[in-house]
Amino acid sequence: MTLSIFLQHQWLNFWRSRNASKSVFFQIIIGIFYLLVFVEIAGLGISLPYILAESFPAKDPIFLFCSYIIYYFLIGLIIRFQLQELPTLSIQPYLTQNIKRSYMLRFLNVRSFLHFINFLPIFIFIPFTVVDIVPIYGVPVAVSFLVAMFALVVNNHFLNMYIKRKSVNSSWWFLGMVLFIAAIKGLDYFKVLSFEQTSAWLFIYLLQHSWLCAIAILLAVTTFFLNNNYLKSNLYLEELVRERKLKLSKSYSFLNKYGDMGTMIVLDLKLIFRNKRPKSLMIMSSLILLYGFIIYPKNLQADNYYMAFFGAQMITGIFIVNYGQFLFAWQSSHFDGIMSYNINMKQYLKAKFLLLVTVSTIQFLLVSFYGLLDWKVIPIQVAAYLFNIGINSFLIMYMATYNYKYLNITKSASMNRQGMGSTQIIEGILIAFVPTLIFFLLNKFTGFWPTIAVISILGIAGLLFRPNIINWLADQFQVRKHKILEGFRER
Amino acid sequence: MITIKNLQKVYKGITAVDIEHLTIEAGEVIGLLGNNGSGKTTLFRLMMDLIRADTGEILSKEKQVTTTDDWKKYTSAYIDEGFLIDYLTPEEYFYFVGKLHQLTPTDVDDFLVSYYTFFNDAILGKGKYIRDFSKGNQFKIGIVAALLTKPEFLILDEPFANLDPTTQLRLVDMIKELATEKKMCIILSSHDITHVAEVSSRILLMEKGKIIKDITGGETAYAEMVEYFKVKIN
Repeated sequence: MTLSIFLQHQWLNFWRSRNASKSVFFQIIIGIFYLLVFVEIAGLGISLPYILAESFPAKDPIFLFCSYIIYYFLIGLIIRFQLQELPTLSIQPYLTQNIKRSYMLRFLNVRSFLHFINFLPIFIFIPFTVVDIVPIYGVPVAVSFLVAMFALVVNNHFLNMYIKRKSVNSSWWFLGMVLFIAAIKGLDYFKVLSFEQTSAWLFIYLLQHSWLCAIAILLAVTTFFLNNNYLKSNLYLEELVRERKLKLSKSYSFLNKYGDMGTMIVLDLKLIFRNKRPKSLMIMSSLILLYGFIIYPKNLQADNYYMAFFGAQMITGIFIVNYGQFLFAWQSSHFDGIMSYNINMKQYLKAKFLLLVTVSTIQFLLVSFYGLLDWKVIPIQVAAYLFNIGINSFLIMYMATYNYKYLNITKSASMNRQGMGSTQIIEGILIAFVPTLIFFLLNKFTGFWPTIAVISILGIAGLLFRPNIINWLADQFQVRKHKILEGFRER
Repeated sequence: MITIKNLQKVYKGITAVDIEHLTIEAGEVIGLLGNNGSGKTTLFRLMMDLIRADTGEILSKEKQVTTTDDWKKYTSAYIDEGFLIDYLTPEEYFYFVGKLHQLTPTDVDDFLVSYYTFFNDAILGKGKYIRDFSKGNQFKIGIVAALLTKPEFLILDEPFANLDPTTQLRLVDMIKELATEKKMCIILSSHDITHVAEVSSRILLMEKGKIIKDITGGETAYAEMVEYFKVKIN
């Protein structure tokens, strides 16, 4: 039994897993997507030295680059925390086989390291080193600098694994780390303590005293063994899998007044807050509220209203799209049950719709403060919100009746394409771009206010026809009910 | 209670269920027996419209299960974990199911009192989600939730398979009691000939989707079943 067999199994697991869609079309799309991301990152990395030289001709590129290295690793840690999964459960079937523990440890370590995030630095550090460092410091120093950087990547990787294994509730850790970095940036901003300066000083010092890369290596080795030893003494399933806290049940009793609909919504709320995947969706839905800071100012200044509208749609609609596309799949593990309980399908759909609208409304109300940036944000957001709840919500619910794939909601959502199929991709395109296109065209030919009016009226019309649409959706569901059930049973 | 006519379900050329005619009367306890792959679970799923039949129909109280939801009001089932909402605690799950049948939490609590021994102090008040319980305990939760709604028609798929011996015997008593006192119509599948013989008023043997034997329960039923399965071995 060697490492290669383990890795081969993982490879098979990747391609044969249920969620790896069988359709060639989808696989090609995914392939192109990965390729694009890859090319983009590689291109960015290679052009980074030139971008730096061009944008800040007065500044020393090495100084600039070095002043952001600490941020790179800190933010990297946050991203890792979200993206990387502990590869623990994958060893479950091997634990009872005749395999040495040390092999399994090695497998876990190697397996965890094979993640695209660990290969990104290649594109960031190597081009920069070759273009900027080699001419000034020479090849040996450049090599030692690279060694130090990759040692720090290894360090970051195993540090993240260690924290993940130790931490119980990932969302709080995540938020904590975000706040930590925000605090650092804040200190920097108010000139209390300059991390950029520190970072620049530290890494330029490293360039001048290249033997210091030994410290980075030492750091990497330490975290590796920290992680390794922890694993070694805890190679039992129950200890590897995160212990669940004793949960005190929230009763959401105020919702119980609303009869069957209330019951259903309570069930959905519990689903969202007790399972990893929908929970991270909620975190995402709240983080995206900040997206306005990025997309509004420059587009409003340039009168690019359609781009602002696109942003407003994302902000007020992300939950509708992401929750709605798996409308039934969230409950796929017990959909047999749902279909045999005494539940009326129309009530069920109404409750789902109400949930989508409620969350979207909360998002909408929260982001109205963007009006302070520019008052035109308000009408744009109103139109986007109305369109989201009146049109997009129903479209998404309709498309959800074509989603036959089982979804494991206890697994994290990031980079998880389980439950995705070509329908979801088409859906994403439809929902994200078509309304923006409509806005763009209307705005071009009729002007700002008529556009806002038309989009809003469309949304309101959808809301007015809600009972009819729900009835129609229930019929549509009935047509594909058995197919959905069958799909969900395949795990 | 249930009438099945010309029911057929074929998966990729293999007949899973093929029943020409079958009626089940109120108050009957039906033991469905058959080796793996004989179509028992498929039949149960068809009865609840969870699978689309290729041909034929199933009537529950003279109404097609495929076109109305009426059967949901008086039918309960536990087939597998797919019937449990696993991110709820058992209590929450019972309240949820109860609510769907207009039972208040107090009603549910009152009902649960009589199942304390059945739960053997391992289920209620543990503050655990259903997904964290063992398979046997999940089964207990599923069965009690199915009984909670006071169904007239109860479907249980291999209820004895995952239970400990004590609970198996308790369940045998429970089923007998439900049938005689509440006149509940029960259909259950099992691989355990002894238990089936003990609880059933009527035994159906299934093979390759067909009901090949319809035995009236009683003294001779057990011998008849043993005879059948023995022949299969030889």
